[in-house]
Parts: sequence; structure tokens; C-alpha cells
Amino acid sequence: MTYIVKTNQLTKVYEGKEVVSAVNMNVKKGEIYGFLGPNGAGKTTVMKMLTNLTKPTSGDVEIFGEKLTDQSYEILKRMGTIIEYPIFYEKLTAKETLELHCEYMGYYDKQEIAHVLNLVKLSNTEEKRVKDFSLGMKQRLGIARAIITKPELLILDEPINGLDPIGIKELRELFKMLCKEYGITIIISSHILGEIEQLADTIGVIKDGRLIKEVTMDTINRNQADYIEVIVNDGKKAAFILESELKIANFKLMDDNSIRIYDSTVSQKSLTKTLIEHDIEIEEISKKTSSLEDYFLKLINGGIVHA
Amino acid sequence: MLNLMRLEMKKFHLGSYIKSAIIANFVILGFLFMILFISKVEGDPGLENYEVALSVIDSFVRAVFIIFASTLIAKLIIGEYKFKTITLAFMYPISRKKLIAAKLAIVMLFTFCAIIISNAIITTIFCIISDRFELIPDVLSNSLIIQHIPSVLMNAIAASGIALIPLYFGMRKYSIPTTIISSIFIVSVTSSNSGNFTLNDIIIIPITLAIIGLSIAYLAIRHVEKVDV
Repeated sequence: MTYIVKTNQLTKVYEGKEVVSAVNMNVKKGEIYGFLGPNGAGKTTVMKMLTNLTKPTSGDVEIFGEKLTDQSYEILKRMGTIIEYPIFYEKLTAKETLELHCEYMGYYDKQEIAHVLNLVKLSNTEEKRVKDFSLGMKQRLGIARAIITKPELLILDEPINGLDPIGIKELRELFKMLCKEYGITIIISSHILGEIEQLADTIGVIKDGRLIKEVTMDTINRNQADYIEVIVNDGKKAAFILESELKIANFKLMDDNSIRIYDSTVSQKSLTKTLIEHDIEIEEISKKTSSLEDYFLKLINGGIVHA
Repeated sequence: MLNLMRLEMKKFHLGSYIKSAIIANFVILGFLFMILFISKVEGDPGLENYEVALSVIDSFVRAVFIIFASTLIAKLIIGEYKFKTITLAFMYPISRKKLIAAKLAIVMLFTFCAIIISNAIITTIFCIISDRFELIPDVLSNSLIIQHIPSVLMNAIAASGIALIPLYFGMRKYSIPTTIISSIFIVSVTSSNSGNFTLNDIIIIPITLAIIGLSIAYLAIRHVEKVDV
């Protein structure tokens, strides 16, 4: 397995407070790595360390198999980034912004500018000054700037902030396309789970500066159990009946009234019938898929889950 | 390095600074004639002879362009930190040291050239007009001009170094006003003219200040690779 990015016990201390603690991140070549965590969890700090903007207090970062040092400048040529929020020289026009960026990066295919503006749906704004752009447009231009040099690694910090739902969808398609067709590895951070869920191949969950989970979407999907939830007037009695009459063992009494049945062989029909026969009132019965959201909320709230 | 300087100038549209420099020249000229006019009305010995006139012009020009340099520092360096655009600049595959050095080189070169060229322009225009209308009783001699040239050159070199001092004050809190105000302070201390005497005339003072300016620039560059942005 080739890893594009590896961090080893990456730690950053600001004014005596550990904002990133011993993070071991592994990003495989050609994948989309979703970096998920609540606001202030340390996502941006980690990303700043990956781009060498901020220097780790201890631990190190390995990118393209090379350790980052203070002198690692050449490596930056192979990366496209948006950190924190897209920052521009606001007086320049969109076109000038991209031209200058290319020159600084040592990339000289000027035709790419029109192409890349088209990709992010910003054609016709070439001559517009960045200061007149809306936040969503700035995000798009930031992405255009990050991808124009065809980097091998894209690091995008909250790239969908400020975008409308259609914009989000367009960019999601764009990221997937970049990953698939150009083989670009993408690290994308967000605090919005739904977004990451639809994009990422691997998810890293960060909380209070610690990477608490790094797991592939495949593994998560495989382990997401479906269950039937029944809400009754007497949970204990119902549980007894489930066990004695229906011979179901794989269920859980959630509280006095609700029961979750994980046994997939039992049908809702026979369940209802049996319970009613034993004089139990059913207020609600429904089939549920334990969502990814539940999974991550549990993770982030400190609960222990097994995936 | 030259390419880097070119890109920096393009990035900040520094062409417009040349226009401002030309306007500054006319403002200085205006001031000079005002001094002449007021001294005539008041009966004061204002610019009694060309020697005084030339040195006043030089002082004026240096003062203006040291302040001017601070606005450049504010834009090229302090502003980049303040508005976080430095994070962009530092993500280019270019050594941070080189990048900051290029910016400082622009400031120094601009200050030096502006002082020399402005001295030439203002002196020429001023002398032609004052000669034509006999505003100064003295006669302008070639030897005076030739004597004056090395001192202008020396002063311009020193001023290019002094111009970097505001960097120190500006960088402390990434404050643009602090940068510019500190330059005004420096200028008012070194260039204020009382009885045809300025601190700048004590040769050791401009030299020391220039060395301080250069040391500040060096310090700014030295640790730039280690700091977080």
C-alpha cells in the first residue's frame, strides 16, 4: 500500500495547550480522505502542518514518502491547498489571480486558466475583481487555484462552506472526477458529516486534537446493522415474550418502552401478531438503519462503538 | 530573485506607486516655493543660497521617501501577515527567506532610486525656476552641484537602510498604522532642520541607523522558516 501522507505522533502545542495530540494519520494514494470533526477539533492545525505552514511541536509528517523539514519547498509544487478559508489578493481579477499563482508555482500552461474556471463554473468572471466575489464564488475560485497546477495531493479545508446545495453537489462531482480521472489524492475536512459520507473513501475522526478513529467507508457500511424498533406500553413484558415465544435473543431493551430487535430473520408481521396476542399495546413499529450519523455522533460524544 | 521581485510588483500593482512618487515630487516642489514665498514675506532668511536649497531638497526628498518606504513595507510585508495572504505566499515552492528578501529588496531599491531620481528632478526644476525669476540671490555653480552629488548618494544609501526600521515596529502586532507612524517618527527625528542643522549631518547617525535597519531586515528573515503562520 502506498501512502501519500503519513503523520507520526504529530503534536502541536500552542501556549501550553495541546491542540493536536499524537495524530497518526494515513492517507492512501488515490483516495478521498474525509477529515471529520467538530469546530475547533484541530483539523485546520493538522492541515497547516501538512502544508508546512505551521511546524509541529513534536512528531513528523511524511508526504510522498519524504519527511517535511523547514526546507521542504519543492514538495509544495505537488500540492494544491485551501487552508482555513480561501484567501486572495482581493484587488486582482480572477484571471490575474490564477496567472500569478501559476507563475509562483512554476506552472506555465496559461490555457489551463479558462479550462479550470469552467470546471468550477466561474467562466465569464475572468475580469472580475476577487473583492467583488461572493463567499461561494471565492470558494470556487480557491478550488480552481488549488487544482490548476494538477497537483498530486489536494488539501481542502472546509471547501464547501458558503456554497448552495447545487454548488455543493457540483463540487462533489468535481472532486470525485479529479480523484478518479486524474488520480489526485484528496484530503477534505468538514464538520458536516453528510458531505464527508458521500465523498470519502476513508474517514478520520478528530476530536479535541486526537484522531479517535480512522476507518474506511467500506468497513462502516459492512457493519451498519439494521434493526426493528418497537415501542410498546410494557417493555419488560414484551422482552420476555420475544425471548420465550419468538425465540429471539438478539435484541436490546432501550428503555421501559422501546426495544430494538437486531435479528433479521424475524418479520414485522409475526412480531406484531405475537405481541398483540399477548396483550401488549404497540404504539409504533418501524424498521431502521442505524445511520452513519449515529455512529459518528457516538464516536464524537465519547461513546464506544465497534465498527 | 529578479523574477520573484517582478512577481511581487505585479501582485501588488506597484506601478501605481511610481505615480504616487511623481505626485510626491510636485508636493515637495510646492513646499519649497512656499518656503521661499513665506521667507520673502516675513523677511526671514529662508533658502538664502543654493547650498542651503540643495541640502533642504535632499532632506525633504529623503524624509518623504522613507515614509513612502514604510507604506511599501506595510503593503508588501505587514499587510500580507495581517490579511493572512502570507499563508498563500508561503505555500509556493519558494524559500520563505528568498521571498521576504525579495520584498525587502524592492523596498530598498525603490527608496534608493526614488531618492536619487527625485533629487535630480526637483533640483533641476527648482533651480531652473529660481534662476529664471531670481528667487535666490546666489548663483548656482557647477562645483557646488558636483560637491553635492556624493552626499546625495551616500544619504540615499543610508536612507534605504533607515527605511527598513519601521519593519520592526510593524511586525510586532502586524499593524499598518504603527509601521507608518514609526517611519514618520524616525524622519522627524533625523531630518528635522533647525538652523540648517539636522541629526543626519552627523555622519555616524545615518550610518548607525542604516545598520540598525539592515539588522532588523536580517532578523526578519533569519527565523522566517521556523515560525508558524
